[in-house]
Amino acid sequence: MESSNPKQAAVSSIRHLCFSLGEEEYAVPLAHVREVIELPEVTPMPHSPAHYRGIMNLRGQILSIIDLRLKIKGSKQEASNTSAVIILDFESFFVGVVVSSVNRVVPFEVDEIKEPPRLENSHKLDYIGGVVQRDKKLILVLDVAKALNVEDLRAIQTHSTVKAA
Amino acid sequence: MDAFEIELKTFFLQEAQQLVAEAEQYLLQLENNSHDESVIDAIFRIAHNIKGSSRGVGLTAIGDFTHVLESALLKVKQKEIPINAATVGLLLECNDFLKTSVETLIANHSDERTNPDLLSRLEALLRGEIPGGTAAVEEAAPAPHLHVVPSTSTPPPPTAAPKTDENIRVGLKRVDELINDVGELVILQTVLMQQRHLIQSPLLQNTIMQLNKITKNIQDKSTSLRMVSMKSTFQKMQRIVRDTSSALSKEINFIGIGEDSEIDKTVADQINDPLVHIIRNACDHALETPEARVAAGKPKAGMIQLAAYHKGGSMVIEVRDDGKGLNVEVIRRKAIEKGLIKEDSTMSDGEIHRLIFHPGFSTKTEITDLSGRGVGLDVVKTNVERLKGQIEIETSVGIGTTFRIVLPLTLAIIDGMVLRINGDERYVLPSNQVVEVVQPESADVECIADRDDVLKLRGETLPLFKLDAVLGRSKSKRPATSSVAIIGHTGTMRFALLTDEVIGKQQIVIKQLGQDMARVRGISGGAILGDGRAALILDLNEIVQAR
Repeated sequence: MESSNPKQAAVSSIRHLCFSLGEEEYAVPLAHVREVIELPEVTPMPHSPAHYRGIMNLRGQILSIIDLRLKIKGSKQEASNTSAVIILDFESFFVGVVVSSVNRVVPFEVDEIKEPPRLENSHKLDYIGGVVQRDKKLILVLDVAKALNVEDLRAIQTHSTVKAA
Repeated sequence: MDAFEIELKTFFLQEAQQLVAEAEQYLLQLENNSHDESVIDAIFRIAHNIKGSSRGVGLTAIGDFTHVLESALLKVKQKEIPINAATVGLLLECNDFLKTSVETLIANHSDERTNPDLLSRLEALLRGEIPGGTAAVEEAAPAPHLHVVPSTSTPPPPTAAPKTDENIRVGLKRVDELINDVGELVILQTVLMQQRHLIQSPLLQNTIMQLNKITKNIQDKSTSLRMVSMKSTFQKMQRIVRDTSSALSKEINFIGIGEDSEIDKTVADQINDPLVHIIRNACDHALETPEARVAAGKPKAGMIQLAAYHKGGSMVIEVRDDGKGLNVEVIRRKAIEKGLIKEDSTMSDGEIHRLIFHPGFSTKTEITDLSGRGVGLDVVKTNVERLKGQIEIETSVGIGTTFRIVLPLTLAIIDGMVLRINGDERYVLPSNQVVEVVQPESADVECIADRDDVLKLRGETLPLFKLDAVLGRSKSKRPATSSVAIIGHTGTMRFALLTDEVIGKQQIVIKQLGQDMARVRGISGGAILGDGRAALILDLNEIVQAR
């Protein structure tokens, strides 16, 4: 489909990075990804939730590492020879998320991304921005900001700066 | 306005801002030493410079104003206008007007201001009339006598010949980026140094050694880029003393020592407000009226001394006055009145002195225009603590008071102690929070109540905290005797902190933790250790206060 008209594909498709959390395959827009690294040495942070793995040194910058599988699926991602960390770019800061494996970069047609199925109490799934059917498998497109509660984190941050000022 | 025009204006305004600040310094010197022609020359040159360049970038209001100012200065130079307090007062007013004009223009390039009243008074001066308006009031007041003692043995005279500018302006952001990169370089270099024995070739080994030396130099130099001279701070304070003294009809000599000391740019910017507050307080509350001073057998003119010097790894800034000193009884009564302390509480004089930093404490009942606007010295203390500094008071009744602010030389690098707890977790403790490190004997550790352990150290009983428990990490079963106790202090309180091991001391480049991280109590920042791992920097004040 994409190959039939590459020119049009360049306009109407968005490249995504696909990765696995356990058995399920997820995707994030490539524009949000800064880089992929292997599991680094992580320094734990006191008084923080379990999915917050800690901090790491990325070429002199300190950033947070979050266990995405634990955060959204409730089971810890053990280190394996495929596990990796995706560094996500939130413009003003970076966050690293631990995933089971990083698979490929795939362009998705815009109209190929479907609304996620709405289930009962589906508010818990609002971090799924859409679903894509590929090779008879379902790929879940992640809304990274919602998945990591970036808005919450920002709110905490703003609040504490206001208090400090 | 096209981009080029905007750029030109921005450049002019930045330059003008510096020039106006310089002019202020010269004007203050003029007041002391009215016959120094080189000073008048320097002011004249600045006015001329601003006139020319402001017209060049199309800021005609500033251009026209400085044109009149320049003509007046020319007459001063030719001794047609006498230099007295009134003239200098008017010239300072003109300089202030230029300063605010430039500042408004920096915010909005098309917001040109005029001041017809000031202009007409300047024109009157030009016609040879005696300056009127507010300047006359100033003349009625006793002419403030100002005296500056430069720190260096050779006072830098304002040079008559224009010097070529050997400075370049660089954005702070670029400097910080450079410092960050250098921090990275240092870490990589440490790895290289540690692993160099793996390399066979003596030439390569040697190269690594040399690289190490150069890296250290680069690190020193790049961190020094953030350091700025305290000259402008001193200048501002001198001006505050001058204005305050004339408003209060007090004679006050200002003495500045060590204005060439260098301090981190951020610290320099943020220390101004606390200093202004302390100095205004000293002028208003500490220094007596001239009559009271004479009656007490003191010289009629009061003295405010601002001194800056390095001590150890810290920068010390002192504000000393020769006023009446802090009155323990007055403070005590006031504190009881305000419900800060109990009537029967026993406190040392030092503890009572520190009460003036308590929020909402102000001993003077009537609020004057200058100080006591509802904000107390507690704001000063908070500001200083935000800069990771401390403030102390030294006072004796009838002789004077000294406020001493001790600040870290730079906010970017500290001396740190690397601690290990809970197996292999490492934390960094700023060395300035540590008094000493001891190895406790079993007899020294005692358990009062169920959980509150204490450590007895040379007769003193200190509360004992276990670092791993405080940080919510798994509790070690280690007996206290095989651990190390760090004796720390926060203000007046001393305490002991039990840790597994002190690994070593090193210079720590403080890294901001990511914006996404909620502020964790007891953690003040992050650092990267010699082996490239990230570590957290502890803040003992917060840890102990949370208990």
